[in-house]
Amino acid sequence: MGYKTEWLKGIFPALVTPFTADVDAARSGLDEDAYRELIRFVLPHVDGLVPCGTTGEFSYMTLEERKQAIEVCLDEVAGRVPVVAGTGCTSTRETVALTEWARDAGVTGALVVAPYFLKPSFNEVYDHFRAVDRVGLPIVLYNIPQCAGTHFRWWTAEGMVLDFDNTVGIKDSSGDMPFLEALFEKVKGEVSIFNGHDEVVQAALAAGADGCILASANLIPDVWQRVYRATLEGDLETAQYWQQRVQKLARIVVRCGSTQAVKEGLRMMGLPIGNSRHPVVPGGAFRREDRDELRLQLELAGVDKIEKSPVAYILGKRRVETEVFATPQTPCKISDFTLRVGEGFAGPPFQELGHIDLLLGLKNGPVGRAIKRAMEGWGDERGLRIINERPRTLLVPTVTARTAKQRRLLYEHAVEGINLAIRLSVEDGFLPEAILDDIVLIINSFVHPAASIAKRVEFNNYKATRYAIRKALENRPTVEELIQEKAAARHPFRYAP
Amino acid sequence: MPVKLPWLRGVFPALVTPFTRKTEEIDEGAYRCLIRHVLPNVDGLVTSGTTGEFPYLTCEEKRRLVEIGVEEAHGRPVVAGCGASSTQEALALARDAKGAGASAALVVTPYFLHPSDKGIYQHFYDIATGVDLPIILYNIPQVMDRYLPRNVVEDLADLPNIVALKDSSGDLPYTMELLEYAGDRIDIFVGHDEVALPALAAGVSGFILASAQVYPEIWQEIIRLVGEGRLEEARARQRGVQKLSRIFCRYGGGVAVKAALKMMGLDVGPPRRPLKTVGGALLHETRAELRLELEELAACNTISVEEMSFEYPGGSLPERFGDLELTPQIIATQGLRLGSGMAGEGLNKVQIDLVAGSKGTALGDAYALQLTYPLHGREALTAILEPGLTVRPATLLLPTLPQRNLRQANMIYGPAQSALAQAIVDVLEKGWISPAAVEDEVMIALTTVHPRALDRHALYGSVRTAAAQALAQVFAEDGE
Repeated sequence: MGYKTEWLKGIFPALVTPFTADVDAARSGLDEDAYRELIRFVLPHVDGLVPCGTTGEFSYMTLEERKQAIEVCLDEVAGRVPVVAGTGCTSTRETVALTEWARDAGVTGALVVAPYFLKPSFNEVYDHFRAVDRVGLPIVLYNIPQCAGTHFRWWTAEGMVLDFDNTVGIKDSSGDMPFLEALFEKVKGEVSIFNGHDEVVQAALAAGADGCILASANLIPDVWQRVYRATLEGDLETAQYWQQRVQKLARIVVRCGSTQAVKEGLRMMGLPIGNSRHPVVPGGAFRREDRDELRLQLELAGVDKIEKSPVAYILGKRRVETEVFATPQTPCKISDFTLRVGEGFAGPPFQELGHIDLLLGLKNGPVGRAIKRAMEGWGDERGLRIINERPRTLLVPTVTARTAKQRRLLYEHAVEGINLAIRLSVEDGFLPEAILDDIVLIINSFVHPAASIAKRVEFNNYKATRYAIRKALENRPTVEELIQEKAAARHPFRYAP
Repeated sequence: MPVKLPWLRGVFPALVTPFTRKTEEIDEGAYRCLIRHVLPNVDGLVTSGTTGEFPYLTCEEKRRLVEIGVEEAHGRPVVAGCGASSTQEALALARDAKGAGASAALVVTPYFLHPSDKGIYQHFYDIATGVDLPIILYNIPQVMDRYLPRNVVEDLADLPNIVALKDSSGDLPYTMELLEYAGDRIDIFVGHDEVALPALAAGVSGFILASAQVYPEIWQEIIRLVGEGRLEEARARQRGVQKLSRIFCRYGGGVAVKAALKMMGLDVGPPRRPLKTVGGALLHETRAELRLELEELAACNTISVEEMSFEYPGGSLPERFGDLELTPQIIATQGLRLGSGMAGEGLNKVQIDLVAGSKGTALGDAYALQLTYPLHGREALTAILEPGLTVRPATLLLPTLPQRNLRQANMIYGPAQSALAQAIVDVLEKGWISPAAVEDEVMIALTTVHPRALDRHALYGSVRTAAAQALAQVFAEDGE
């Protein structure tokens, strides 16, 4: 026996679904133009497409919307690559009906998620897929226990794959490598075995996976294609290099609100993709610090998903031209350097989190005057330190360091991180060389009295400072974001333990 | 059929094990003091349980704790914690305990390597048949990573020496199952402080609790009230110690109990490493909360409450910003705008005095200066909805009263801070602040919170209301 199909291999993005409005059901629908633009963006780099998967928020869409999205996708693709449509529903009856519809609409195959919410037993799962298999469309079984609540286990998967004629593949998003290896042991070469967990792409391909269906392939299809090609050519070193290069990006997407993470990532790249549908909210599972980190990861050399744009800094009568990695939120002109406020937050873990309150301003303005007065007055007594000269930077401990350990963590490790953030902000253009003698920084850094892990103190202060510098310059969060997120905002220390 | 033991009921504290500082040796004197402190209100003692850090104790130390317990208990039963990972060691401990005079052995589910149900049965069977001492089974899945399976308990209950089970899971469906299948043959004890009352009402024989060395009298009272059918009063008593019980169960265990005992004047020393006295499982913030709760608990009048005198700022509004170097004259000539609001009753009364103006004025200088920490004990905080959501116009919250301790800081950092931010975004949403002002202005909110404020939820409401009043005075003329 051989593979049941030849076309089911390679890199498939699990497409996000752009919506026209995110709350009002009456006005919200598929944003067809944005969807087509997304498909055109990924198409040159992919071996197939998956509309209406988990990342496509199928569980938040009506049946009509799912059908519409699949039709648009088929139309835009026009036969150039296979389209494997997500047709899974929680009941067998609905799943069969939607899969029959998809068959008639002309999809290449269907990705069918394990029946979810109520947790059917293994034999119920098996019979569910047997009914779906009889539709006659090539079927890809879909194991995603994080969401579905049921894990196939190898004995169910093996039975379904071998017993059902039209079941041509299985996608495993669990990241459970022992399970994937069991699949290779049992059914390798008979159906396509796909990995759906972005953090283990290279490992899964090297171990024998035929392809991957990935949320992050909306953002970086070309990078995943490099991993796939290199693995096929036996060049493991190159494949490992690119996996490691995007590992953090993959981790953010998988663990920090995949749908919203991908959508905000695309938006930062300039694609007009709105938010996920409620109850997913901006700043929820995909936290604001994740967005700032994702942005940095998209800027990485070799990933190159956010481009540099010119920005003019107006300092009084002086005009300084710089180039920064710009998102649609980046202004093209920043004209008031009197006093700019930025805040950054980074964790985990709790005891070592970084929380930075940053002021950026002119040397001869309020910020410069405050530094001068503090250092001529209470600076030494209260543990303030000048930690950098260009730009002149005053470190203010939010909590006084009382022990030798606390002083070491603050003045060595937190400072190391803060200065790295400043250095990299100079390199990336946000703090251009030409303004370093004109502006000054006040950085309030919170180092928890119980912090222990020096490296985390350093990294979290680096991250929080890097985010804070950009937020101060870009005036983030915006008023729109504040209003949008006001109701759901939850300060972690607002509540009693 | 085993006969239930008449003494096995009521309140048993799972005693902490006091250690000396630095050397981490058992502090026998402190242990005796602790036992004398609890003895009037308890029906027996439990040595070297989970709260007693049993995995960190040697066999000799466990035996010594039993000896001291028996000496100090004056005839009350002493239950010896005899938990171990291997059957051999658990059995040796139980034999030691009998030799030292224990009335029963508390034996936890074997842990670390995960034996099968058959292995678990064999473990307890070997102990119950290998020593002539009543055995209390012990289910605590939070630390053992597995339940003592109900069907194993059902069979073990037939063994003559197995007399009881302590269930610390807090999982009432599981407790109900035990009562259903083994309750006729063995006594069930609840070991989870948060659900002591419901478990008692459901039929357990008593309590083995960490908090029974902190407020045993309350648990005794609950048993008495339930016995008399006065459930309403029993519920009130349980609710009165709910937060404390939650902290002991979930945020630090024995470490939190040690912190509480120290606050009550019983110094039982640090835990053994790798546990930390504070800053590990027990956060500094939680320890501050413990103190608050113990002060509240009238029954624990060993804790003294620090009285503070203070006043809400009075006089004319422009004169209240002197600490910011903003005189009435500067305020007038530089066009700074002021507002003031007050809301809440009693401890939740809050006053906000707000100043707003351009970054280029003296207010901009005051703003930057505050972030260099000039008023020690009155550190300014940036108004944020939550970390990452800084409001605009950029605003500082400056407490008018010195923050002397973490509990006061806990009312400002979090509740007051986010309430101020919410009030500002409410005004942004109304469109009262022009886009130019959002970029060009800053604000400082002098915030006065009662130093004994406790209720974060109420405080949040007061700050939001007071800030809304102040903001309306500053911005309403722009918008409406």
